[in-house]
Amino acid sequence: MDVELTEILEALCQHAPFNEIADDPQLNDMSKEIEIQYVRAGEWVIAPSSLNNTLFFIRSGAIEVLSKEEKLIRRMNEGELFGYFSLLRGGKSSQSMRTIEDSLLYRIPARWFLKLYEENDIFSDFFELAREVRLRVAMDSQSSDVSLMTCPVVSLLRRPPISADISSDILTSAQIMAEHRVSSLLITENDELIGIVTDRDLRTRAVAKGLPYSTSIADVMTRDPIVMDSGDYASEAVLKMMESNVHHIPIVKNERPIGVISTGDIIQKESHGSVYLISDIYKQTGIEGLKSISRKMTHTFTQLVVADANTQMIGNAMSHIGTAFVKRLLQLAEEKYGPPPVPYCFIALGSQAREEQTIKTDQDNAIVLSNKYDEALHGEYFENLSEWVCRHLDDCGYTLCTGDIMASNTRWRQPLSVWKENFSEWIQKPKAEALLRLSIFFDLRGIYGDKTLAKQLNQHIRQEAKQHSGFLTFMARNANQRKPPLGFFRQFVLDGEGEQSRTFNLKERGIAPIIDIVRVHALACGSDKLNTLERIEDIEAAGLLPDGRAKDLALALEMIGMVRIKNQKDQIEAGEEPNNHVNPENLSSFEKRHLRDAFHIVTRQQEFIKFRYAGKRS
Amino acid sequence: MFAEWAEKAPEGPLKRYYQAGMVTPQTALKDTPLLALDLETTGLDPNLDEIISLGLIPLSHKTIRCQGAQYWMAKPERSLHAESVTIHEITHSELAEAPRLHAILDEILIALSHQVIVVHCVAIERQFLLEASMKIYGFPLYFPVLDTMDIERQATYKPWWKRFGKQPSLRLDACRQRYKLPRYKAHHALTDALSSAELLQAQISYHMDPNADISNYWV
Repeated sequence: MDVELTEILEALCQHAPFNEIADDPQLNDMSKEIEIQYVRAGEWVIAPSSLNNTLFFIRSGAIEVLSKEEKLIRRMNEGELFGYFSLLRGGKSSQSMRTIEDSLLYRIPARWFLKLYEENDIFSDFFELAREVRLRVAMDSQSSDVSLMTCPVVSLLRRPPISADISSDILTSAQIMAEHRVSSLLITENDELIGIVTDRDLRTRAVAKGLPYSTSIADVMTRDPIVMDSGDYASEAVLKMMESNVHHIPIVKNERPIGVISTGDIIQKESHGSVYLISDIYKQTGIEGLKSISRKMTHTFTQLVVADANTQMIGNAMSHIGTAFVKRLLQLAEEKYGPPPVPYCFIALGSQAREEQTIKTDQDNAIVLSNKYDEALHGEYFENLSEWVCRHLDDCGYTLCTGDIMASNTRWRQPLSVWKENFSEWIQKPKAEALLRLSIFFDLRGIYGDKTLAKQLNQHIRQEAKQHSGFLTFMARNANQRKPPLGFFRQFVLDGEGEQSRTFNLKERGIAPIIDIVRVHALACGSDKLNTLERIEDIEAAGLLPDGRAKDLALALEMIGMVRIKNQKDQIEAGEEPNNHVNPENLSSFEKRHLRDAFHIVTRQQEFIKFRYAGKRS
Repeated sequence: MFAEWAEKAPEGPLKRYYQAGMVTPQTALKDTPLLALDLETTGLDPNLDEIISLGLIPLSHKTIRCQGAQYWMAKPERSLHAESVTIHEITHSELAEAPRLHAILDEILIALSHQVIVVHCVAIERQFLLEASMKIYGFPLYFPVLDTMDIERQATYKPWWKRFGKQPSLRLDACRQRYKLPRYKAHHALTDALSSAELLQAQISYHMDPNADISNYWV
């Protein structure tokens, strides 16, 4: 007689990790040894400093986890497990658990937990004690290969190369192309690639000029075309096409052509077409055209998210689009007001400078003028120019900065020497309050004009910051201002004090704290990088953090960033204005679980910088 | 009582069941061995209808032990009504392969020995087992019961002058919801036994004294 407690097994298998190992025949045997307990609200399940020999599964109700100091650590509800931490440490429990609602608990004997932990990798991965490791595993399983960044060009090839010998005339060449329905033809000599002919070449170089059919293909082709190696990334192909304005690139392997990729292949892959959006921006001659392109941005954004692009790629694409708008507007402004009387550099601040923009950001920018600037002579020109550019950026969806950190504000439109003095003042005599508003200036990138101005300013900042540890103390303290939540409980966000709220700002309480932490370390090690992930690499190389901790920050940022971007995509699809507010009800259990891990990493690293850059006690 | 029945009962499994005895009425609830039981039948009339499955699950006042769970199916003498098939989710083919009740009742009696039975709505289970016992052994089967329905009736009892509106439902599912217990698919003997076992745990933690004599509660 095989007794099957279907109800119990089914309940277990609805939740991680059992849902992932539901085919393990041992689960049925395990379910037969479960004991069930009903515990009223407010009772200890694992009392402080008691021994525990059971893995608990919450069938219904809710549990609160407290630290030794009786501080709230988390709340758990239906489907969650607890007690495993002590099982892995021989029964000693550093945390205590008590019911906060009437609860029905399944007690799974320790030996079953330990057996599955030993034998089943999926099961043990779930309980992996280091949140960092767990997060890494989770992120790996989520990453996809569909992105241009990570796929090699060879994966875009759809057929072997179609080629013609150099001795062919243009008629035969065109016939070969027509027969194979291709828009380009490789020209070879002794099987060696020496040229390429495209539809456009035949049109503009042969037909439009009335050349006879018997013309040698050698007269029409492009000699020594740009080629790429089969192992190169598709994203590099995109850059090459944009730089050199070609639409076909032969791919070679061991110096023999194995195919051709065209812009069409890329579009198919990169269906959102952010690359095309950028080239479109540069073609516009008026504000109306730019405005109409800006309305397509949400579409581009959602397409990127749907295509499983990671946050780094999306941030990169959105920032490049944003930069293209700025550049084009400045070009148009210079047409309108004439060439600049003295060199200047238009600088992006904050997320755009870090190349981490998402959809919907307000503009943060400034201008560094050459030291030759004379207010009386040139003031009006730059006032007009910056006023015009900022206003039209607003038209294009980059709303005016509420803090007035814009090039149109005279205070942020200064000669290099004044900028240097400003930064020296901020760094040498730091004031916490002021620095909180100014942190955005420490992510500064020249995007148009004389970029050496921005470069000199950045060098000045690095030098000053490295020499003034008091400044880092203030920055570290400021980086501790915004605390991530503790985690989630049911549809609520849970804070350290046990407070629960309906929504929370993922940017303010997840992403910004990481950026702040990384900025402090980056300034400390004199990194000249702006992008947070690139800064993390520098920080790791400088050995500022214990092994692996730098990578943890990158993982946490990617996890939180991904949730934010998906949330914005969902908001757009629901016809709402995208923002940074996340409602836990819309999060999957996967997301909740790993967000909690990410928050935990952030909190620990906030603690760390407080101690790492602690100032001298007076 | 059990000693008296042990003498009168015919030789065989039923006699041995009575000989095993029963806890004394003075046994504390917390020391009483409990066994949740549920039957599925072909209908509601104990004289006409038959038992087709039986589930058991042992428990104490604090813990339910899945390890001791047991489950039997029995092939009815008469054929199954179409409508009861839909209620039980037990198919004809499953039952066709099952043994007759008389072939498994011996085993069931061993399981019931010395246990106070937990059921929701005692009338049905007691009557059907009594009928079966009469038919198979020619002698009645008696057993003490904690009836979760009866416990719930007392717990929710209000004198008529305090009653307002509808009386609370005493159906198993409704009782469970009162204690925030999860909802189960009903009509599988083992699930329903588990269901009433969990309900009893909740009732004990709210309304009953684990140190009180079992005789305060059994019927």
